Amino acid sequence: MNDIQLPAIDYAALLPMLIVFGAACVGILVEAFAPRGWRFVIQVSLTIGGLVAGLVAIIVNRDLEITTIGGAVTVDGPGLFLQGAIIILGIVSLGLIAERRLERGGPFVAEAAHAANSDGDKRQEREPGATEVFPLTLFAIAGMMLFCVSGDLLTMFVALEVFSLPLYLLCGLARRRRLISQEAALKYFLLGAFASAFFLYGVALLYGYAGTVSLTGIREGVLQSEQSGILLAAGLALLAIGLLFKAAAVPFHVWTPDVYQGAPTPVTALMAACTKAAAFGGLLRVFNVAFETTAWDWQPVLATVAILTMVVGSILAVAQTDIKRLLAYSSVANAGYLLVGVVSLNGAVGSSLFYLIAYGFSVLGAFAMVTLVRDSEGEATHLSRWAGLGKGSPLFSALFTFLMLGFAGIPLTSGFTSKFALFSSAWDSDQSVLVIVGVLSSVVLAFPYLKVVVLLWLNPPGEETPTVSVPSMLTRAVIFAGVAVTFVLGVAPSFLLDIVADAGPFLAK
Amino acid sequence: MHPVIPYVLAAMLFGAGVYGVVVRRNAVLVLMAVELMLGAVNLVLVTADATMRLHTGQTLALFVIVVAAAEVGLGLAIVLQLYRLRRSIVTDDVGAEPASAEGEEEPVKVVA
Amino acid sequence: MSLLAQGALLAADNTVPTGEAVTFWILAPIALGGAIGMVLARNAVHSALLLVCTMLSLGVFYVLQAGPFIGMVQIIVYTGAIMMLFLFVIMLVGRHTRDSLIEVLRGQRLAAVILGVGFAMLLGTGLARGVGSVTAKGLDEANANGNVEGIAKLLFTKYIFAFEVTSALLITAAIGAMLLAHIEKKPGEKLDQKVLSRNRFTKGNYPGPKSGPGVFATSDSVATPAILPDGTFTERSVSKVVPARELTLTEARPKATNGNKQDGEIR
Repeated sequence: MNDIQLPAIDYAALLPMLIVFGAACVGILVEAFAPRGWRFVIQVSLTIGGLVAGLVAIIVNRDLEITTIGGAVTVDGPGLFLQGAIIILGIVSLGLIAERRLERGGPFVAEAAHAANSDGDKRQEREPGATEVFPLTLFAIAGMMLFCVSGDLLTMFVALEVFSLPLYLLCGLARRRRLISQEAALKYFLLGAFASAFFLYGVALLYGYAGTVSLTGIREGVLQSEQSGILLAAGLALLAIGLLFKAAAVPFHVWTPDVYQGAPTPVTALMAACTKAAAFGGLLRVFNVAFETTAWDWQPVLATVAILTMVVGSILAVAQTDIKRLLAYSSVANAGYLLVGVVSLNGAVGSSLFYLIAYGFSVLGAFAMVTLVRDSEGEATHLSRWAGLGKGSPLFSALFTFLMLGFAGIPLTSGFTSKFALFSSAWDSDQSVLVIVGVLSSVVLAFPYLKVVVLLWLNPPGEETPTVSVPSMLTRAVIFAGVAVTFVLGVAPSFLLDIVADAGPFLAK
Repeated sequence: MHPVIPYVLAAMLFGAGVYGVVVRRNAVLVLMAVELMLGAVNLVLVTADATMRLHTGQTLALFVIVVAAAEVGLGLAIVLQLYRLRRSIVTDDVGAEPASAEGEEEPVKVVA
Repeated sequence: MSLLAQGALLAADNTVPTGEAVTFWILAPIALGGAIGMVLARNAVHSALLLVCTMLSLGVFYVLQAGPFIGMVQIIVYTGAIMMLFLFVIMLVGRHTRDSLIEVLRGQRLAAVILGVGFAMLLGTGLARGVGSVTAKGLDEANANGNVEGIAKLLFTKYIFAFEVTSALLITAAIGAMLLAHIEKKPGEKLDQKVLSRNRFTKGNYPGPKSGPGVFATSDSVATPAILPDGTFTERSVSKVVPARELTLTEARPKATNGNKQDGEIR
């Protein structure tokens, strides 16, 4: 019997994740022991406190570059930046999750166990929403943070599941339109489980190839392994399918519009901002660390996927009549732009990170504004209802117009600077075809955004124009953050560009 | 045992699972097909262990089983919830939808 | 377990024992047949049981391939717990539910066949070519200190963080299942014994057991309602499915059963 030696664990490097996981566990205990009336206040302060503490820990760690627990966790510049981005975007989206003024009791159902339209469901209509959503959000954010710094595929798989499971659940907890929300949860869950099976098969084949599941081990295995390259190719393809599903790339995007539409809007915002950051964090790490040396084999395939994603996403966005579905297809198209960054490897890591932050804030702002347009049925998301809102609510329409112009990539917005940074670094990495397709598709993608702007200002209001509700400070803060960051990154992007440049490449040893 | 045989068997099981997920419409059966795919993955992992003289694959298989258990627990909760929502909607909105075709016939009421 | 481990060590020898090959060739068709049957069976319960078959065969394969611990876990957790959970749910939602054969999307089944078979063939032939030259070295060296110890050594060193994080997964699953299933009773909604008995004896309720048909009655037909001590008929004593019989006046009149009263009412 030989002794088991625990490898060196750098707790400082793990601290941000430990804080968030710890806060989530405390949140569960609060659910069990705190009196009902206090739970909301305690949970909101605990969640925000935990996330801010995690952010502080990341800032303290900012120069850390270390591989710990025998290679299971790799904390490096891009990893820390992604963790910080996820936490910041998480804090902002928490403003939407905790909003309780727009709708009595908040956007989440009080007791999901009541069947829709049953007596119990009618009775709970005005009751405060379930507070379990806060620890669940924390678990999801902690899982995303771990996903971005995983040093081996086993940890990555566990992290993937840790952040997916709470999201499946959160999707089904909408207060209004409960059936469509439940169906979104089921769809997301089934396809998510399907995709993680592909991910795992890829991991298994890569293990069969390299004899290890650590990313750096696979990188070395590519050079040394005596196994057949078929194992490597098949493993890489299956692994990529699993990851591209989370990133919502065509042809693995089919869940996106339905889930984005059915989920409660705050959860949609969380998925659009944070899950996207996490998924691309994982993609960037896997391809830059494990498969950089085999780039010639996979780059053409991934480039094709990127082209398909950009083209299909932007063309389908044109045909949408629901604002949430429109934003869903726009997020598919944006996944295509980010894939250009992945294909360009190390040259575009920094600009991809920049793009994730810029897009995350804009999309959070946009979804925050979607929650404001309401009628007696809840949110009015059909575009025809939005006609003529500019007459009655000029401030709302002006801000939304600004965000739409940002998405469309008009100069002076973050949409322009981020696309410019991404495409120029991709051009430098000799991905000129991708850049051309990207620019053309973003021109196509500008149409649906401009259509919304025209609808807001120029169309006559319909018979039943919904009202723009006045939110509490939380949602106002989210909208302000979204608009302000979209503007500031459009005007003065250099400070953030410096930060991402300092983050450097992924640690690959 | 020659590792190629389990590898091929696993590929076939995985293919059957993919077919099941795509073609099945009952959510429980789709989830079962996903479990079949995970079973195929575990077979590859354990087989790879035998060619590597390591335990990593078996450890990963252990994780897969635990994660699958958690996933199935949550997934079946979601499936049951949707089933309850649907059925109770059928009973609530009388006349909105045809009677369920599950063979659960309403008991014949005889007025005394 | 030690016996199994020994068997596994034996199996892991470079010369393939006949027993192992025979077991494999018997179980492999069963596993594959179970899988194919599972995706084709119309009845959900049949599907689940066929999947149990496949999972059991897979468990035996793991034991054959020097993974006695994981084989047992597969059998206990997968077939014992997970598949039983599936069966529970199938029974709950009605085991009559059959998958309909009507295609909602045109060509979905054909696409599925192409996808599934194509996937299996592509991977199968690719791997057969790729792995053809590899020989199983067996785990005898690695298993020298015990299979479970070998797994533990990895689980509690390199993968300790993943192991700990799995708890978050399990908490999420537990919270989720509770969130979707638990309805909290409001104070006052839950009735205790005191309230229940008070309700039973309040005015307008009849606290005693219902009279059987024919008791105190004028006729012994089940269609004839019983007479309560105060002389009134009780409809509750007659089954709802039996149509009430119209009685003539003479039939309805109480008969002198004890000899003391002639045509008097029972008071």
